[in-house]
Amino acid sequence: MAKFEPVLLKNLGVEGSRTLKVYRSRGGYAAAEKVIKEMTPDTVIESVKASGLRGRGGAGFPAGMKWSFLPPERKVTYFCINADESEPGTYCNRVLMENDPHQLLEGILIAGFATKTTVAYIYMRVEFHEQFHIMQTALDEAYKAGLFGKKIFGTDLSMECYIHRGAGAYVCGEETGLIESLEGKRGWPRIKPPFPAIEGVFQKPTVVNNVETLCCLPHIFERGVDWFKSIGTENSTGPKLYTISGPVKRPSCFEAPLGITCRDLIFGDDFGQGMLDGRKVKGCIPGGLSVGVLTEAELDCKLDFDDVRNYGLLGLGTAGAIVIPDDADIRQVLANIARFYSSESCGQCTQCREGTNWMYKIALRIALGAGRISDLDLIENITNNMGMMPGLSICGLPDGAAFPIRTIVQKFRGEFEDHIRRQDPGYTKTVLKRLNPAVYELPVLGRRPESLVGQPE
Amino acid sequence: MAKIIVDGREIECRERIPVLYAALEAGWDIPHYCYHPGLDVVASCRLCLMEMKMPHPKTKEMDWSPKLLPSCQTPVKDGMEVRFNSDRVRDNRRDCMEYYLLNHPLDCPVCDQAGECWLQDYSRKFGEATSQMVEAKNVNPKKDVGSKTLLYQDRCVMCSRCVRFCDEIAGTGELGIVNRGSKSEIDVFPGVPLENELQGNVVDICPVGALLDKDFLMDQRVWFLKSSDSVCPGCSTGCAIHVDHNRDQVWRLKPRFNPGVNDWWMCDEGRFGWKYIHDERRLDRLVVRRGAEIEYPDWSALDEIARIRFGTVVKDDGEEKVAGVLSPFMACEEAWLLARFIREIAPKATLVMGPVPTEGEDKLFPQNNGDSAKFTIRSEKCPNRRGIEMILKNAGGPSVSFEDFVKKAGQSEFAAAWVVGGYPGEWVTKEFASSLAKVKMVFAQDLFSSPLTEAAEVVIPSCSWAERSGCFVNHEGKIQPFEAAIAPLEGCQRDGNYLFALSGESGLYNASRVRAMMAEVMPEFGKLHVPPSLPKHAH
Ligand SMILES: Cc1cc2nc3c(=O)[nH]c(=O)nc-3n(C[C@H](O)[C@H](O)[C@H](O)COP(=O)(O)O)c2cc1C
Ligand code: SF4
Ligand code: SF4
Ligand code: FES
Repeated sequence: MAKFEPVLLKNLGVEGSRTLKVYRSRGGYAAAEKVIKEMTPDTVIESVKASGLRGRGGAGFPAGMKWSFLPPERKVTYFCINADESEPGTYCNRVLMENDPHQLLEGILIAGFATKTTVAYIYMRVEFHEQFHIMQTALDEAYKAGLFGKKIFGTDLSMECYIHRGAGAYVCGEETGLIESLEGKRGWPRIKPPFPAIEGVFQKPTVVNNVETLCCLPHIFERGVDWFKSIGTENSTGPKLYTISGPVKRPSCFEAPLGITCRDLIFGDDFGQGMLDGRKVKGCIPGGLSVGVLTEAELDCKLDFDDVRNYGLLGLGTAGAIVIPDDADIRQVLANIARFYSSESCGQCTQCREGTNWMYKIALRIALGAGRISDLDLIENITNNMGMMPGLSICGLPDGAAFPIRTIVQKFRGEFEDHIRRQDPGYTKTVLKRLNPAVYELPVLGRRPESLVGQPE
Repeated sequence: MAKIIVDGREIECRERIPVLYAALEAGWDIPHYCYHPGLDVVASCRLCLMEMKMPHPKTKEMDWSPKLLPSCQTPVKDGMEVRFNSDRVRDNRRDCMEYYLLNHPLDCPVCDQAGECWLQDYSRKFGEATSQMVEAKNVNPKKDVGSKTLLYQDRCVMCSRCVRFCDEIAGTGELGIVNRGSKSEIDVFPGVPLENELQGNVVDICPVGALLDKDFLMDQRVWFLKSSDSVCPGCSTGCAIHVDHNRDQVWRLKPRFNPGVNDWWMCDEGRFGWKYIHDERRLDRLVVRRGAEIEYPDWSALDEIARIRFGTVVKDDGEEKVAGVLSPFMACEEAWLLARFIREIAPKATLVMGPVPTEGEDKLFPQNNGDSAKFTIRSEKCPNRRGIEMILKNAGGPSVSFEDFVKKAGQSEFAAAWVVGGYPGEWVTKEFASSLAKVKMVFAQDLFSSPLTEAAEVVIPSCSWAERSGCFVNHEGKIQPFEAAIAPLEGCQRDGNYLFALSGESGLYNASRVRAMMAEVMPEFGKLHVPPSLPKHAH
């Protein structure tokens, strides 16, 4: 395989890559200028559709299609750039903003032109302190150069861009949670419909896209749709940033065509370069925590939008891999994952609010050495009874909780059972009795008769 | 109207209302917490989920939806088919009910809501008898959130109804949610307690025992309460209410659904303004004075006393020297009977409406929201000014304003007057008292003793509205009936009873019978405004 020439990261390590001067000297803003001066919004949307660009924020929704949902008659359009990047194990957006802020701004210009955006908001998680200043400096520079504001590139196009900083909540990365938070409200995801394309920020048509999705745009228009489609696989076109963390030799952010395998990512010379200190891989969570886990045997899974589903995963996610080494206690891993979702559920929907917290309590007890085999079934049951996919919740957070927790419990069930069998039974009993003396060991009675269920009486 | 199929049965309902509401109205008991027809839809409790028939994305054949859908958020469309009786729907409800109780303290024995709690109702009906949870429960605080309201956070199901009420109806937004996930709590900002004048409603709409009314705290087990349909006498809005009582003691008032008048709400002034009913200072016996002599005759003697004494005045001083002051706290029926009696004895008698108390301006809610008022507390602090006006108009003959009456009485233009009070507070001004001193004979029908009753020859202890029945006409002319909730105070008689006898009718007073008689001369009274009664859990 020919060595892949970085696209999104081409300015990584270039001296002064954050400045407008250096960015322009390397061909920056030429694509935006060409698009704005020579194309119409509709042809831009068609090109993006043709390029097969899919959202990099997690759901993989085709970007061009999303834009075409906007109502044709509209006076204002808001564009939200999702820079909330809080998926555990993911830091692609951070790398992009840190090293090449103008690339994102150029992407915003192109997307904004295509969607007739009046105001663009970059919604950044609050923990991005340094990145905020980098982006703000770049934005100021761009404004001074006439790239934002009125009469962009001397044309009639005008567009404002602001950076908004969140308050540190995972759920504010969910697009409608983001919109609420941007409006200054509690970051509670909204019920859909109406979808943001119809009623988003301030009840106006709105598009939400991930940072990396937008960063792809200048390249599509610089080098052409066909070039973009030649990278990656049929349904997953283009380059993608992969990040890897855990005890690998080179934990970092890499760029590759969509479709490399998880094994490549961990062991490839261009990527993770294998495990540290002779450890082995126990498993790998390949796409940000929410997608679920792959076992050692499943590492040949291709990291694109399709193959992951063959392994029981939620999706590609953000392609932020977390490697679990063989010396990690799987019970701790589970408890840590469950803790994240329990504290990040926004608390609107019953199943998500209560279910995530319950699973955390169970996982913690198992990790402390007082688990029961039946707890594993119980956890699995809870994961099956939550989420947007069965229609039980407003947003996708509980799906994101269900997949890693369920796949870990299923795929590592033997290991859990071994741990539980090795526990001191006296200790388990004491803990359980202390927690809840009444319920412990009571038989579970049968279900209620059906006659009692909600028919008119 | 739209036709939809629910669980295989066709029902007819209004277009565009939520499927949930259509099913509730049609008699289904669909569990729900976050939905309230008076508030925005948030679809967050996920209890009301249903299945709907929709075209399959590939084959286009109609089939049950792959996902469950919130029925509160799905508007009715003609021809749609939904179901609540599938296993998936049932399983979800069962799981939800288990979730709700995970961190609930299960302190039903000491909870005021017990007996009318939607957590109890739904757990029993849709839940399981046991919980699979063995972990320690989250512990949530109890908080004093406002002057009239307590919050037991540990019982809260996070439906956010209370928050939406404060935002959307009161417009004051005191309540909010703090923290995330299972640590979420309802709370107020430090130093900004729940102080809006509609706060009692958050207790009503809280489906569980989380928000509690301090006034009712630990007072009664609700299953001992009986509920009577009534109308609030606090202002001319005329909110439909329930008077909840036990053993002839009123314990609380609750709003009753009355679309277009008070919808689901009532104000705190009305809600807590009933205490005078059980005031120890209430007049409780018929008093007749003859010079310095005081007698306490039996009620049966009232008829004769009134006829003889008024007859004497008419004979001695002339018909036009008689006056009757009708109070805007009287029911229309009572006022009509009294007017009829006075006019019968003295056809040229002057009829007067007593003072109409007012206070400030109408208060519109949500506050600071221009003309889109969702609730109004009116400045006119009596229930029946319009009704009395109707009676006076119908009675014809001489009638003067209360001010003129006071003036004329002061100039000794009247020799006899029947004055009705019934105001919850002090209402007899010095001026009024001194001009009454110039009236030879006064019959005072009132709740409390005042210069009026001190000077009156005959004092008739009156009853509060909760002990009476009849109808009030509200500010926009809606004629709303109310029933007697409790027995009259010992020693008192229902005002209607003696007025009925006085006006020459035999048998017991019955408001609807009197209304039928009134309707012959005032057809308006043939048609009452009676709000629809809703099935349980339908609001
Ligand atoms: C709980 C939750 C958290 C999310 N967090 C992020 C995030 O941090 N960054 C992001 O870009 N997308 C996030 N998403 C996905 C967004 O909802 C949305 O799909 C995405 O921003 C769309 O952009 P794209 O089409 O460019 O991928 C999250 C989704 C969920 C359900
Ligand atoms: S699913 Fe969870 S995170 Fe999403 S809106 Fe509901 S409670 Fe909030
Ligand atoms: S306090 Fe009551 S009304 Fe408010 S959110 Fe909790 S359960 Fe709902
Ligand atoms: S989700 Fe429909 S009533 Fe709460």
